[in-house]
Amino acid sequence: MSISGMRRAGTTLAVLGLLGLVGVYWLSFFWVPTEATQGIAQRIFYVHVPAAWTAFLAFGLSALTSGMYLWLRDERLDRAALAAAEGGMVFATIMLMTGPLWGKIAWGTFWTWEPRLTLTLLLWFIFLGYFMVRSSTENPEKGKRFAAVVAIVGALDIPFIHLSVLWFRSLHPQPVVVKPEGPTLPGDMLTLLLTSLAVFTVLFFGLFLLRYALEGLRAGLDERTRRVSALST
Amino acid sequence: MSLYMRQVWAVVWKDALLELRTRERLVAMGAFAVLAAVLFNYSIDTAVVRPQDVAAGLVWMTIVFGGLLGIGRTFHLEAQDDALQGVLTSPAPKDAVFLGKAFANFVLLYLVSLLVLGVFTLFFGLDLGSNLGGLTLSLGLGALGFVSLGTLFSAVTAGTRMGETLLPILVFPLLVPVVIYGVGATSRLLASRPLSEVAGSLRMLAAFAVASLAVGAVLFRFVVED
Amino acid sequence: MDRPNGSPAPVLEASGLVREYGPVVAVAGIDVSLVPGEFLTIFGPNGAGKSSLLGMLAGALRPTAGTVRIRGDAIDAGGTEWRRHVGVLSHRGFLYHQLTVHENLRFYGMLFGVPDLDHRIDARLRQVGLDRRAAVRVQALSHGMRQRLSLARALLHDPALVLLDEPYTGLDPSAAALLRDVLMELRDGHRTVVMVTHNLREGLELATRVAIQVGGRFAWEGSVEGLIRSDFERFYHEVVEERS
Repeated sequence: MSISGMRRAGTTLAVLGLLGLVGVYWLSFFWVPTEATQGIAQRIFYVHVPAAWTAFLAFGLSALTSGMYLWLRDERLDRAALAAAEGGMVFATIMLMTGPLWGKIAWGTFWTWEPRLTLTLLLWFIFLGYFMVRSSTENPEKGKRFAAVVAIVGALDIPFIHLSVLWFRSLHPQPVVVKPEGPTLPGDMLTLLLTSLAVFTVLFFGLFLLRYALEGLRAGLDERTRRVSALST
Repeated sequence: MSLYMRQVWAVVWKDALLELRTRERLVAMGAFAVLAAVLFNYSIDTAVVRPQDVAAGLVWMTIVFGGLLGIGRTFHLEAQDDALQGVLTSPAPKDAVFLGKAFANFVLLYLVSLLVLGVFTLFFGLDLGSNLGGLTLSLGLGALGFVSLGTLFSAVTAGTRMGETLLPILVFPLLVPVVIYGVGATSRLLASRPLSEVAGSLRMLAAFAVASLAVGAVLFRFVVED
Repeated sequence: MDRPNGSPAPVLEASGLVREYGPVVAVAGIDVSLVPGEFLTIFGPNGAGKSSLLGMLAGALRPTAGTVRIRGDAIDAGGTEWRRHVGVLSHRGFLYHQLTVHENLRFYGMLFGVPDLDHRIDARLRQVGLDRRAAVRVQALSHGMRQRLSLARALLHDPALVLLDEPYTGLDPSAAALLRDVLMELRDGHRTVVMVTHNLREGLELATRVAIQVGGRFAWEGSVEGLIRSDFERFYHEVVEERS
């Protein structure tokens, strides 16, 4: 797919995603029934959970393309990893901002060590490490390789972190019982959740393609600049 | 001994010899351990908290912070005269170099962690009971996982402008499993629970250690190549 | 490089070597081919990319483009066998200052899988005149002695290809004489040598082939027989001026 083709696809997906998001917001305020125990504040759930899901999807994509980058050395794979990481970080930030907000309104505390929230917080920091390492090398090629290593190790560690945080939680039950949803979500809520999941995924891929295309343009510009300056020496 | 093992041993031997000659890291980490224990003692209000209840966590945090001190310097030894280049242009496979470095770091960290346990036992009046074996095992397994990640990422940070200051940011999120399972096992053992109760945690620590050693060995070559 | 048919197999074959550091092109396309016994000296002004070229031949730097073969094996194929045949003497030393002379050599000997290590170490130390300082720590050695130790280290595993980056820098006359002797021994022993140096006299004396590198390329390259030794300095400056 050419860069302009990607930008078109990306824009389409992003617009669809944003429209979908508006739809999800509307539905979560006006259509879906109010949850019994938590009241209105629970509606944030339909943004909060899909954001987390998307963040982890993005990270998985970033780690996968990073691994392939180290193996095949194709610059485009690194650009994909970067684009995915940026998108992922955005969604992780959304999740981390909506989480405490929800917690405060629904249960009176900003932070409980809820496993999903904790895991996303750690993921956010792994993303941070990815970007910091990428931009703090003298040689940009090295930065890309280092970042790829961070992404891969991070992705492999996430299952361990998940298990350990879950286990910790089982030993140390929090005073506030946080049970945002069970496996048995009533029909409408489940529908909305799944819809929102799909919308967020579409939105992410739209942003991803746009970012990837942008990075490709930038690389092309760098290449042309270099060739021009090489000609003039 | 196969050539590979000989090459790994060469790196371990060389790092151990350097540490013995300079004693830089050992002294720094050892002093840190003792001083941290002193500070922690003052940071706990014994009217509210029993030291024995929080000791396990403090032991591990001291090991983590002190460990980072030492591990951050792993590739400093090589920076003088660009010695690492000499090692990398030798026929030793990169994973052998990594394993050698990681193992040398492990010996250093394990010694320090035993020191930390000893100091906290002394200062906090801990009862090691019959669980000394289990305690040293949990510390060892945790140290192994820690050291694998630390060695890999200290090679990364050595190539950045920020250097060692970047190391905690990269490593701390990844160490959560080690801290959770390590403290989980240690606090049980310090409370005189039987070893069988902590078998699950020890297994997870072991799995983590093996996984991080393997991943480190595979990815190290991408970090040090040029 | 033109070569008569029936020559022995090349020890070193590099083609189309390019090395870029971001926008800067240090090496812009260089070929090198050497058979056993050849001694290539590379001259050139600072910034010509000589160290980068040597780094690629040593497998320390990854070429941006081009390939290097050592005794037929491509060095980017992933194996490390070919490294046993290469010895590198860099101005960086690669020495551990807190370890003794003997310990430094022991370490590298183990990495290179050198058989009969202790004997080899003794022999090399005698060759470079450091046998009486085997137990001295590197930090207590003078620069000249450290260079000699680096030389012993580079040759410890008896490599077929020896790469030297500015080996005469900072050497006193006796150390320089020792270096010349050792290099002549290598050449007579059918080892292959590539030496980068600013020292026109020494570099020319030992060479069988000469290259003048300017701006990332070989501005001139050929057999030493095509040169008039007494005239070389003038010739060198002429080539460099022309290409700059």
